[in-house]
Amino acid sequence: MNPINISLLVFMIGLYGVISKNNLIKKIMGLTIMNGSIVLFFISIGYREAGLAPILGKGTTGGIPTTIFVDPVPQALMLTAIVISISITALALALIVRIYAKYKTLDIQQLSKER
Amino acid sequence: MAIHIPILIIISPLLAAFLVLLTRKYKIILATTSIIISIVFILTLSSRILSGDKVIYHLGGWRGPLGISLMIDGLSFFFSLIVLGLGLLVIIYSIPERHYGRTYYFLLLISLSSMIGISFTADIFNMYVFYELLSLVVYLLIAYNEKGMALKASFNYLIMGGVGLSFFLLGIGFLYAMTGTLDISHIAERLPAAFDSSVKMVIMSFVLIATGIGIKIAVFPLHGWLPDAHSMAPSPVSALLSGITVEIGIYCLIRVIYNVFSTEAFSIIINSGHTILIVLGVVTLLFGAGMALVQTDLKRLLAYSTINQIGIIFIGLGIGTELGLTGALFHVLNHAIMKSALFFCAGIMIAKAGTREVQGLSGFIRQQPAIVFAFIIASLGMIGIPPTNGFVSKWLICLAAVEAGYTILAVIILIASAITAVYYFRVIQVLFSSPSKQNPVLINEGGQIIHGGNFFRTWTIYILVAGCLLLGLVPALGISLVKPAVSLLLYHVIP
Repeated sequence: MNPINISLLVFMIGLYGVISKNNLIKKIMGLTIMNGSIVLFFISIGYREAGLAPILGKGTTGGIPTTIFVDPVPQALMLTAIVISISITALALALIVRIYAKYKTLDIQQLSKER
Repeated sequence: MAIHIPILIIISPLLAAFLVLLTRKYKIILATTSIIISIVFILTLSSRILSGDKVIYHLGGWRGPLGISLMIDGLSFFFSLIVLGLGLLVIIYSIPERHYGRTYYFLLLISLSSMIGISFTADIFNMYVFYELLSLVVYLLIAYNEKGMALKASFNYLIMGGVGLSFFLLGIGFLYAMTGTLDISHIAERLPAAFDSSVKMVIMSFVLIATGIGIKIAVFPLHGWLPDAHSMAPSPVSALLSGITVEIGIYCLIRVIYNVFSTEAFSIIINSGHTILIVLGVVTLLFGAGMALVQTDLKRLLAYSTINQIGIIFIGLGIGTELGLTGALFHVLNHAIMKSALFFCAGIMIAKAGTREVQGLSGFIRQQPAIVFAFIIASLGMIGIPPTNGFVSKWLICLAAVEAGYTILAVIILIASAITAVYYFRVIQVLFSSPSKQNPVLINEGGQIIHGGNFFRTWTIYILVAGCLLLGLVPALGISLVKPAVSLLLYHVIP
């Protein structure tokens, strides 16, 4: 089983959590799992078997690589995606704190009954 | 200086956003000036773009496929004009409200700057980052009043939007895996080669991206967050959400359909994609109209009306002929103008009457007749009655439907317009009736208006309504804006 399939499986697990769980915190956990799986997906796209770190100089002649390098672009993208994911999680948790202070419950079924 | 104009248009509101946090006195002046500067910058580019030219700017001098570049063509010019023009009016409308502090303007400016970023960028991952930034800010703006319902609406939107943008990112991942680049034009060049070897991955990435954006546009089965989010937000923010943010989603969809998955090799996907767009459009149209019919809350009614109008835009996009696209894009502009005017009016009415229920607004004509007449003109536009702009775009879409052989679509649009007429006339009739005896549920949403502040509010509405009438009487104005975008999308050539 290659890492891409695993990451898609984890993505589905996260989606299942978001859809089926009633607890707000568990929904956020599902969202975080989805984002984590996307990180795994991107990193495994860029992975090369026995590849070196993409640094010019070692294993290159005149800027042209002579050995296999790991693709650096997905790693750079994922740094951005992780930051975004963390800020979304932080905002969601802040909203949950306010919602709990107001309604004293985290269950989405009960929340939808309240005004 | 002159070559750096594209990035300056994005940076000006972004920089002002952080400066606003430092000052208490000059926040409004700073916000409006930064938007006006952006408008001036973009108008300097207008002659080049309307003649069909593209402005391309490479950030830091790195060219594609490695670097990130900004590209302004007819389509992005059109959408960024909507964003900047309405954004300015939203800021002016917010001036009289004392309750809105520095953070409010900070969030507003960041959302505007990220929307311009979405429409300018030529890099699909950059588009995702700007979209996520926009969503983050919008969740905060919806919850700005910190009322219980608003918090719930914001959380609901956060979950839906988070899932949608995850789908979008996964779709980008598939595109990168196939093509090895993120630049939109380079992806379009390299996709046909990938299509021969891995058809399933291409279809998968298209479906993921379309679903992700579909959640943000609130197409029928994915619309669940919109009525709550748009109705619970403060009124200027509702106008921003319904008028601009949803339209930016439509921009992303158009870019993906016509620029990324556009080559001949995909004609099978594209054709079935058009059919899907039409079907979704019809369902969205009828569902939005039907749900708006039974709403008793004014802002919820307007929010469902947004879903209704998105359906019309989708039908126009799905028909896909030159006339259909012109109508769809023109309807985007018209919907932005009319819906913001309606939400602005609703904001004034709700603040005065102290209730959101339609019944509680009875007899409003005696308090502020001008606002009621503005509401009537904008709602006539929504229905599509001749001297207003809504008529022109609906007419174009109906004409395109008949020309393309889908006469049934024209009939459906007419039926939906009739339903639209029913729910708007119900509101108008209440506005004209005598004040009711029983007290409706009062809510405390008025806030404090500064002395003489209504001047700003009413004049923004008058400007928007004048725009409605002007575009209805002289539709050539709007169509000349849309033309370069349409010919670029359909023929990939300069007119």
